[in-house]
Amino acid sequence: MRRGLAVAVAVLLAPAWPGAARASVSVTVDRVGVATGLGKRFAVRSTVVNAGPGEARGLVAHLNVASLRPGVYVDPEDWSTSRTRYLDPIPAGGTATVRWSLQAVNAGSFAVYIAVLPADAAGRPPTVGRTVRVTVAERRTLDAGGILPLALGVPIVLGLAAGGLALRRGRLGSSA
Amino acid sequence: MNAGRSAPGWWVVLGQELRDVWLGGRGPALTFAFSLILSAVAYLVATNTALNFLEQREAVGLIVQVSVAMGGILVVIAAADAISGERDRGTLEALLLAPVPRRQIAAGKLAAALSLWPAAFVVALPYVWFLGRGVGVVGDAAVVGLLVGSLLALELGALGLVLSLFAGSNRVSLALSLFVLLALFAPTQLSAGAQQGWAGDLMLRANPLTAGVHYVGRVLVDGHSLGRDADLLVAPAVAAIALAAVALIAAGRLRLPPGGAR
Repeated sequence: MRRGLAVAVAVLLAPAWPGAARASVSVTVDRVGVATGLGKRFAVRSTVVNAGPGEARGLVAHLNVASLRPGVYVDPEDWSTSRTRYLDPIPAGGTATVRWSLQAVNAGSFAVYIAVLPADAAGRPPTVGRTVRVTVAERRTLDAGGILPLALGVPIVLGLAAGGLALRRGRLGSSA
Repeated sequence: MNAGRSAPGWWVVLGQELRDVWLGGRGPALTFAFSLILSAVAYLVATNTALNFLEQREAVGLIVQVSVAMGGILVVIAAADAISGERDRGTLEALLLAPVPRRQIAAGKLAAALSLWPAAFVVALPYVWFLGRGVGVVGDAAVVGLLVGSLLALELGALGLVLSLFAGSNRVSLALSLFVLLALFAPTQLSAGAQQGWAGDLMLRANPLTAGVHYVGRVLVDGHSLGRDADLLVAPAVAAIALAAVALIAAGRLRLPPGGAR
């Protein structure tokens, strides 16, 4: 009897709690695939839908990037400088749209996903939208082999010039 | 002969000082040392296979920042020697007896010290081109480097000259100049967190060196337009003009101490 009463009270109060809204929040994205080139910018738009009966408050949306292939180090901060957004309260049945700007800083295949979690998220799983698969075409931006002639050539030329001047000075000094 | 007679005093001093800096061997030696540092940095950056696109832009920013900072050090080394060096060599008296106003002597010496910066900039260009061509920032890097580097060179050159005017010996002048330079550069090593808030932001903008270095980063790494963060150039510009004015005013009052050049 007491247990039944407690459940009834919890059900009645649930919509007022941000945590309760979690179960009724969903995330959608405007695309599931992006093909781009190294260094190019692109955007993903996500929509957080509150399908619950109460206002969803204290929601935090977070963008993440992961490489789908091993051996590629990904620093998500390099991909997007603003990866965490604190959402305004979403009324019952309402939506909140967030535009995420990204720059493809690595070549390869990557997954971009957006998770939404309540501010009091301890112990609760986040709500995650569909994965956006990002394929970044390789583009050669740095010729590592070419640095050696430059790194040696410039000091050699300047060193020879400085040495030549010193030699000339020495000769002039000795002839005087 | 006629041209020599009509040339202003500072121009004559500049010609003499340029010969001293460049044919005397100091300029070529400093430029050679500068190229060694840039080569080491560029080699380390370019052979890092884990470098991503953004980090490559950061590498270009790093090369420009190193060029600007090292260019400033070259200028300050030359300027710090300008008057105190003459004192140490016992040639200040003869220099002051020359029929050239003292401000013009100082102006000529400052201009000669500043000649190290364009040379350093030209040396840095191949490295900037190599690292920046793939990420499309060579033009911006050249413009930003020239702009910030010129302001900092003038500011540091004037600072070195002021210290050289007042220092009792060349060693003191050089040590003080490098100490001030390091003190101005120190805030660039603060963590990003320490630079936030109004106090951190104020320090960043008020210190000409940190402001200039941050401007380079904003344009080359963050991809901002040249005009967007132009307010960061206020402190370097004001410091350059103010210190140059102080150097010239102080040079006008340059006197030999009683008892000789020392």
